[in-house]
Amino acid sequence: MKNTRNIIGFMLVIAMTTSCKKFVDYSPKEDYQITADDYLQSQDDYQKMVVGCYSPMQWIWANRVIGDVASDNSVSGGENATDQIGFQQIDDYQITPVNSYLTEAWKSCYEGINRVNYLEENKGKLDFTGKDALYGQIYFLRAYYYFQLVRMFGDVPLFTDHRLSVADSRTLTRSPKADVYTQIETDLNNAIAVLPLTNPEKGRVTKYAAQALLGKVLLYEGKFDAAAAMLENVIAGPFDLVPNFGDIFLQTGENGPESVFEVQYSNLSPFYDWSNPGRGQGNLMVQVCGIRNLTGSSPYGQGWSSNLPTQDLANAYQAGDTRKEVTILDIEAYKAAHPEYNITYLVAPYKNTGLYDQKYLPRKGETSGQVELNYLINYRDIRFADVLLMAAEAYNRSSTPNDSKAQTYLNRVRQRAFGDNAHDITATGSALTQAIWKERRLELAMEGDRFFDLVRTGQAATTIEGFEAGKNEVFPIPQEEVDISGLTQNPGY
Amino acid sequence: MKRKITLVFLLLFVSMTCLVKAQSLKISGKVTDENGETLPGVSVKVKGTSNGTQTDLNGMYSVQAPKGATLVFSYLGYDSKEVTVADQLLINVSLKPNINNLNEVVVVGYGTQKVTKVSGAISTVKQADIQKLNPVRAEDAIQGRASGVTVISTGSPGAKPTVLIRGIPSYTGTDPVVVVDGSIQTLDDLNSIPASDIESINILKDAATTAIYGVKGGNGVILVTTKSGKKNGKTEFSYGGTYGQQEVMNTIGVLNASEYAGIVNEGSLASGGNIIFPDISTLGVGTNWQNQIFKKPVTQTHSLTARGGSDKMTYFVSAAYLGQGGIVGGGSKSYFNRSNGTVNLDFDLTPKLKFIANTSFVNIKGAGVPENSINSVISNALNFDPTVPIYNNIPNTYGLYSVSNNILSEIYNPLTQLADTHNESNTNKLYGKLELQYNILKNLKITSRYGYTNTDVTGKSFTPLSYYGAAHINSTLNADGTPKAGAHNSVYQYKTTYYNFTFEQFGNYNFKINEDHNFEAMLGFSIAKNTGNSINGSRQDVPFNSWDYADITAATGTAPNSGISLGDFRYETRNLSYFGRLNYDYKGKYLASFSMRRDGSSNFGANNKFGNFYAGSLGWVVSDEKFFKSDVINFLKIRGSYGITGNDNTQRQFQRISTAIYSYGLGQNAGYTFGDNPTSIGATVASYKNDNLKWERDKQLNAGLDIQLFDGLLNFSGDYFEKRTDGLLFYPSLSLYLGTAQVPSANVGNVKASGVDLNLGLTKSFSDNFKLNSSISFSKAKNLVTKTDVNGLQGGNFGIPSYNLTRFEQGYSPGYFYGYQTAGLFQNYTEIQSSPTQPNAQPGDIKFADINGDGVINDQDRTKIGDPFPKFTMGYNLGFSYKNFDFNTFWYASVGNDVYRAYERNLAMTNKFRGVLARWTGEGTTNDPRNPRFSFTDGNNNTRPSDRYVEDGTFLKIKDVQVGYTFPTSLLKSKVISRLRLFAQVKNAYTFTKYQGFDPEISGGILNSGIDRGAYPQARTFLFGLNMNF
Repeated sequence: MKNTRNIIGFMLVIAMTTSCKKFVDYSPKEDYQITADDYLQSQDDYQKMVVGCYSPMQWIWANRVIGDVASDNSVSGGENATDQIGFQQIDDYQITPVNSYLTEAWKSCYEGINRVNYLEENKGKLDFTGKDALYGQIYFLRAYYYFQLVRMFGDVPLFTDHRLSVADSRTLTRSPKADVYTQIETDLNNAIAVLPLTNPEKGRVTKYAAQALLGKVLLYEGKFDAAAAMLENVIAGPFDLVPNFGDIFLQTGENGPESVFEVQYSNLSPFYDWSNPGRGQGNLMVQVCGIRNLTGSSPYGQGWSSNLPTQDLANAYQAGDTRKEVTILDIEAYKAAHPEYNITYLVAPYKNTGLYDQKYLPRKGETSGQVELNYLINYRDIRFADVLLMAAEAYNRSSTPNDSKAQTYLNRVRQRAFGDNAHDITATGSALTQAIWKERRLELAMEGDRFFDLVRTGQAATTIEGFEAGKNEVFPIPQEEVDISGLTQNPGY
Repeated sequence: MKRKITLVFLLLFVSMTCLVKAQSLKISGKVTDENGETLPGVSVKVKGTSNGTQTDLNGMYSVQAPKGATLVFSYLGYDSKEVTVADQLLINVSLKPNINNLNEVVVVGYGTQKVTKVSGAISTVKQADIQKLNPVRAEDAIQGRASGVTVISTGSPGAKPTVLIRGIPSYTGTDPVVVVDGSIQTLDDLNSIPASDIESINILKDAATTAIYGVKGGNGVILVTTKSGKKNGKTEFSYGGTYGQQEVMNTIGVLNASEYAGIVNEGSLASGGNIIFPDISTLGVGTNWQNQIFKKPVTQTHSLTARGGSDKMTYFVSAAYLGQGGIVGGGSKSYFNRSNGTVNLDFDLTPKLKFIANTSFVNIKGAGVPENSINSVISNALNFDPTVPIYNNIPNTYGLYSVSNNILSEIYNPLTQLADTHNESNTNKLYGKLELQYNILKNLKITSRYGYTNTDVTGKSFTPLSYYGAAHINSTLNADGTPKAGAHNSVYQYKTTYYNFTFEQFGNYNFKINEDHNFEAMLGFSIAKNTGNSINGSRQDVPFNSWDYADITAATGTAPNSGISLGDFRYETRNLSYFGRLNYDYKGKYLASFSMRRDGSSNFGANNKFGNFYAGSLGWVVSDEKFFKSDVINFLKIRGSYGITGNDNTQRQFQRISTAIYSYGLGQNAGYTFGDNPTSIGATVASYKNDNLKWERDKQLNAGLDIQLFDGLLNFSGDYFEKRTDGLLFYPSLSLYLGTAQVPSANVGNVKASGVDLNLGLTKSFSDNFKLNSSISFSKAKNLVTKTDVNGLQGGNFGIPSYNLTRFEQGYSPGYFYGYQTAGLFQNYTEIQSSPTQPNAQPGDIKFADINGDGVINDQDRTKIGDPFPKFTMGYNLGFSYKNFDFNTFWYASVGNDVYRAYERNLAMTNKFRGVLARWTGEGTTNDPRNPRFSFTDGNNNTRPSDRYVEDGTFLKIKDVQVGYTFPTSLLKSKVISRLRLFAQVKNAYTFTKYQGFDPEISGGILNSGIDRGAYPQARTFLFGLNMNF
């Protein structure tokens, strides 16, 4: 009797211990988690994944600040020498590989590329109508991210077939700049082949956007003939210059007739995360450019007094150029002109120029939630005016220059700026080249391209104080990446 | 069968009484303890015979004994007493508790062990010490009393301290496991147990004692045993109550209004600005905001317990209440109010089958204020403008309290902040165990135990629209009290349920071979599940901007952009374990023990579901050897152990697809807003997984010694340990070109700790009237991180912009402070030019040390500038009683813990600290790097993390001073009250320290300890109380 009981007990223990092993198995479904194994089963999944590929464009707001701070257009400003230290380093040309903005640019662009590659990897998983056009969008985006990387860092790791996994860590090396440009061209040409001319959803990539970006890329490569031809497609499109220059940069001017491609920002889904402040839907660049402790009833909101236009830039505008007031806000003059606003503000505590980036100043009512992080102002990435100027340059510098076409495009831009024909440029040849380059500065100042234009056109060393030729054409590879992945550093860093 | 035995006994008894009757006397009397309390169940035997009896419920006995015989009175926990029978028929005896504790039994994992047979390392804190302290949390009673344990307390009512048993094994998940009456709980649960319920706390420190808890044992084990009833005892009631007041121990020296204005003017001029306060003379001393935020709230405790039993069952029931208000903002803004009810029942269902049901219910109501952060109330009080009055005196503007026109961001009036802080939480918790013990044989017992904890927490917080000044960036109201455009108030509510259970089945089998070889074997298995799930929501637009209406029900927000939001979380982890232990001793002299556990966890990666943990120990009771003859040493034991335990602070592994617009903390955003359309939901791969993930592994070596001298007068226990943790979980540094998806943790790092735990106790009765006990504990642990990932780990963020202060990095102690070393102040330009390049430095700025010697001061020159963890801690207890008075004091010292003053904001217009008065004002004025020149512009960044802000936080705290008076029974003249003691107590009476801040004891786990961002200081508490038995 007693033995039977013991045997039963023993068997019970054995039974429990063997069946119990499953008890510690785990399935993510327990936590209602969607995993990679379950996804990309429907067209909707693909569309959502494509949306995700757009997001990192919002995170690289600092690239657009760097484009001007690194040039003669603006200074870093801020509260003190260590506020926004990444911008200070770049402004002072004491650039080190430890720079949070450069690291963020690197990580964000590669995140975008990996997101695109994940779709590339899973392209064959499901077929549906409109898939090709959908993939056109992501090929554009991959080209966009690689273009950001290549013009900032030069040679960079290049991969296109799959999303990298943990096993790929520390395995890649830098690919030559030329290979990266080749891939960018391939992606853009593939995109152009499948993208529709327009998309009812504003901010989506269109064929024109891809053509404009390809034109820009070709210009960077010095392929002026191809650039001119490519940009001509865009000029033939439905775009036009907005009559009043200032209107472009208002909320009402977003995605307007001059907009070829805009990075969309929004305050509809407010973001609160200070641990990654630039990774929301809002444009942190706007907050960075704002006037410190501004009060009063002006339309502007407060900010961090960074990216302050230089007097040199202000002086570059001729009298009568309507772009000056749109590009630069002279706060003292503005205050004097508008006593009714009762403006008070804190003079920029560091590197004050008294001037602010009017194009991207914070404006009241354009943010929500955590106010600093949610400004809705889109980044005007490729404007029609830019396309005209790029085309002008391409025609002027092409193997068979067409200066009259170049003049026409250039003067279209100038006529809008001055409201007359009296300021038209009649120069030709290299004088025209200089005029176009000068015009690019005036038209596109504080829009994030100046530094790259100066490097591209070989003017950086003569124009930028502190710029060291043979070194500063590119920024240093982030130190973390050098340490972890063993990438070679750019010369001089 | 049972009847037969009873009959035989009865017969035997009758025949014996008949035999002795002829020549014996009938002796009777009463047995009491030293306080005159009756002792039921005392064995009374006639020496040399089998004749004897027991005292009844009233402590009375009667026994037949011949003249000249010796009566032996013995009772567990008391010294036996022998009395020779003369002519007297009434023999009253008073027994003394035995101070030589060699007969004690100590609770270990899945069993008990005679203290002399333990070969592992255990610290014990007894009920009397715990009860005397009147602690809020049980850890308060461990601090300084249990050697080998470092407790870093916090001042916030009811908040969890940092508890480290024997060094720092990891950078996270360092909490020891808490086992209450055999049921596994967590350190968080120690807020729920009232001191009056606790019988003892044992801390298992070495692998020999913790390996039986396997993967949960790596950080040590705190075993809490609650009280149970007594068989055949009269019901003992007791009441304990305290009532008292708390206050802040000190304040920090800030500038008064005139001094502040002077400094601000100087700073503005130095940076090329204008004078800000043209007329300082009108300002006076202004407002010291610290005096406004600290209050003197009440604290009180009450407990009522009853214990007793019949011969088939015993019971312990208790009800307790604890209410503690917080000193920051007073009892209405931060508090911890706890109500407990406990019923512990033991039933002998049959002689062989015992059923135990322990059930406790706890309700905790709490509220808090922002603390130890840049926006804490204390931080605001220290840094806010001293020139403005307390109350708003500007007509027709909103708000009760003043605003500053000088400080327009980040910092605001702390009183407005307090007034606008609204939150509350309510916790209902039911925990306990159901246990069956079946004695199959006399020495074979099977135990089935189901331990459970169910916790329901509900809470809410309200963020009203606030006015901090018209130009203040954080104001959400205009000066006239109307909301700013786009501003909304909001209420947040949550409801969380945690449910944990452990089901364990184990058998204990004790046997002997040849009388001298004693074996205790235990074998068992357990399954456990921990679950949590929570739902939370918030809604904007609470009516009247008022806490009275702060509820989602009443709020009206409907806007799609977060007018309403919902969230939730859930988790479940499951463990499956098998365990066993074999203890062996030869005549109680040579001891050996081996234990092992095999643990499986649902948190481990698919390729590593089970881990094995084991430990062995040896002991030698030298004093039992024949050759050992000493009048001084009556007990000496040498012991050693080695074993492996684990730490399962791992995460479940999967590759997640995120479809969230944002993933907070990770910086994953997968949404995008096309034009004017609503935000499009996107998707992205948000994480990787690691199927090889496993537990952190602790290998620990222990060598110890227990000595008792002069028959219990002195007790000494000392241990040396070495602990190596490997497989430490890190988020490995992967190539940045992988993007931003969450990297899975991997078993990467190693840590080494070594140290000693010492305990010395003295107990002496000089006479019946004068008794003394004293003890010293000493805990030292040296920690070294021996391996981490490339960069290690950074933490301890503070400030705006945020700096990382602490690191967990190869070659250094865990959580050390990382920053620049100062080397005085630049006195003139020549000195700047002749020093390593330091951009933008000016005379009067701090000169930083060129650690790497490259001639440039930059990030690479940062180095170790402090260690927040003490080199050693000590506790000292002294208690004596004279006649009816008793006195007790407890001191706690922490030596070598550094503190970083992160509460100093150092912005242009914030208030400054008194050190600035000794600032550099010209060549030769000072070379103290703590006091550089003051200017609004700080091109040299004098405020960067440097040893300028690091202080030695060594302290000695008088944690407890207590004087009590016990009324003599003669005076009580009560048949109801058997004992009455009144006492007065001061907790945290005084802190000896050089630290300038409030309290150098700053809790924050591994990466945030010792950073004073405006931490909640511990309160000095004055209490009156009474203990009563009836």
